[in-house]
Amino acid sequence: MKIVVAYKWTSDPEEATVGADGIVDWSRARPGISTYDPVAIELGRRLATETGAELIGVTVGAKGVGTPLACKAALARGLARVVVVEDDSLKGAGQAELAAVIAAVVRHIGDVDLVITGDSSVDVAAKMVPTVLAGELGWPAVAEVTEVTGQPGTLRVGRAISGGAQTLEVSGPVVLAASADATAPHVPGMKDLLAAGKKPVEHVDLAALDVPASSAVMTITGRARPARKERKHQFLDTSDPAAAAAELVKALREVGAL
Amino acid sequence: MSVNAWIVVGDQSAIGDLITVARSLGGDGTVAAVVAGPRAVAETVAASGVDRVVWCGTPDGSPAEASAPAVAEAVAADPPRVVLGGRNPGDRVLLGAAAAGLHAAVLTGARSVTAGADTVTVVNAVYGDISDETVEISGPVALLLDGGSVPAASGASVPIEEVTATPYGVKVLETISSEFEEVDLNAAQRVIGVGRGLRAKEDLALIEALAAAAQAEIACSRPVAEGLNWMGKDRYIGSSGARISPQLYLAVGISGQLQHMVGVTGAETIVAINSDPNAAVFQQADYGLVGDLYELVAEITSVLE
Repeated sequence: MKIVVAYKWTSDPEEATVGADGIVDWSRARPGISTYDPVAIELGRRLATETGAELIGVTVGAKGVGTPLACKAALARGLARVVVVEDDSLKGAGQAELAAVIAAVVRHIGDVDLVITGDSSVDVAAKMVPTVLAGELGWPAVAEVTEVTGQPGTLRVGRAISGGAQTLEVSGPVVLAASADATAPHVPGMKDLLAAGKKPVEHVDLAALDVPASSAVMTITGRARPARKERKHQFLDTSDPAAAAAELVKALREVGAL
Repeated sequence: MSVNAWIVVGDQSAIGDLITVARSLGGDGTVAAVVAGPRAVAETVAASGVDRVVWCGTPDGSPAEASAPAVAEAVAADPPRVVLGGRNPGDRVLLGAAAAGLHAAVLTGARSVTAGADTVTVVNAVYGDISDETVEISGPVALLLDGGSVPAASGASVPIEEVTATPYGVKVLETISSEFEEVDLNAAQRVIGVGRGLRAKEDLALIEALAAAAQAEIACSRPVAEGLNWMGKDRYIGSSGARISPQLYLAVGISGQLQHMVGVTGAETIVAINSDPNAAVFQQADYGLVGDLYELVAEITSVLE
């Protein structure tokens, strides 16, 4: 039995800057495992421990996503091994392209019963990679997953839905996107980091994978920094809270906000 | 007639904005919807102004996601220029299946969509909306968009075509209603956002009093809904949550992280209350109040009352 966790090695746009030309400068941002992906690894780790399945990490992206440091950070969270596709042609790749490459890696690994992903990536926040991945594999997908139990092949999946929660039974292979708060990820200690250094990392050539060609060609023809509404940046004196409250209410009534 | 745009629909029939985008593309083709939810959803969609409705006959006890193969097949049988889907989890799964079936491009931050003779051009917000990319696509493209409310029934319904495909083996064992009431933040003129500055769930009573006095809806930052679990997930604002454009957004105890603030850039007026004068939220506020939120919220409430 094999459980794959697809994770992203990327940076938080909060640490990026954007020029007036709309070009995003990531040079001061520090890459790491995308914010919600440790939750996916943790869900996978618990299920793998219960079922004896092998837990395999998969990451794809531009050069840098498979450095020893990056792989160690992922492995220390409980993965048995990682499979990496590092190729600069994947720099800025869209969700469909990333999903197609991950699907090809899952086929390359073979006999995978379950793929778990995080809720969304910290940089793109699209929430579409797991669902396109499922489409590419011909598997069902379930998002907002809060709990997974059972055996790969027959899983019980808890998920959040609008206005409540649901328990599903899933037969056969499936892609599950974890909800951001499904579980508190285990924080790796020194022992985990030391062990991670000895775990296997497989680098796979993008060219060696069977990635279906896209029917669409995307060309970026322009970039711009979005125009933001001008804000007043007016600080009210709060030394007397009651007076500040009255002043605020008056100002909001004047602009028609109240 | 060929299909210009497919709209994929799960359990939620609110697709008014998707129909508007599909229609705005012009061209000779039709706007078709494929519904993987219950029959009642297909009937609502059939009366909402689309040219064609295909219903997957989703079996009882299966979630809409189980019918993803039928959705992908219906779309691939009449390949469109665009496929549109809403942002809720079920619709995302169906859109992913349709996109994979077409090997289409996928974009999730469209601010505008225009169709030329051979290409579709999308102005697409990326990386927490810090940059807008203009993307020209030749070939099929799947767009994840806000669904919006359903327009009033046009009176005439189009007939519902039923298709079948072997569904995935996914069954619902149990459904539990949450303690939280569902909310449509987009319908609110005034919204109060609560952040981690609030010390305890019980203190929400203070915010509720302000909301009642200001006739506002209550929303929150992501950790308040996920992690703290003080409110339902449909109340959190941000790049992966709700994006709102109310008359007034009042940020209470919110630090102002990028991922939260992109959800309120469209607000007409932003007020921030925070004890930290250096909080990022003040950079995007019209009115800033530095101080104890407990004191300030109570005072504002009493002025309004």
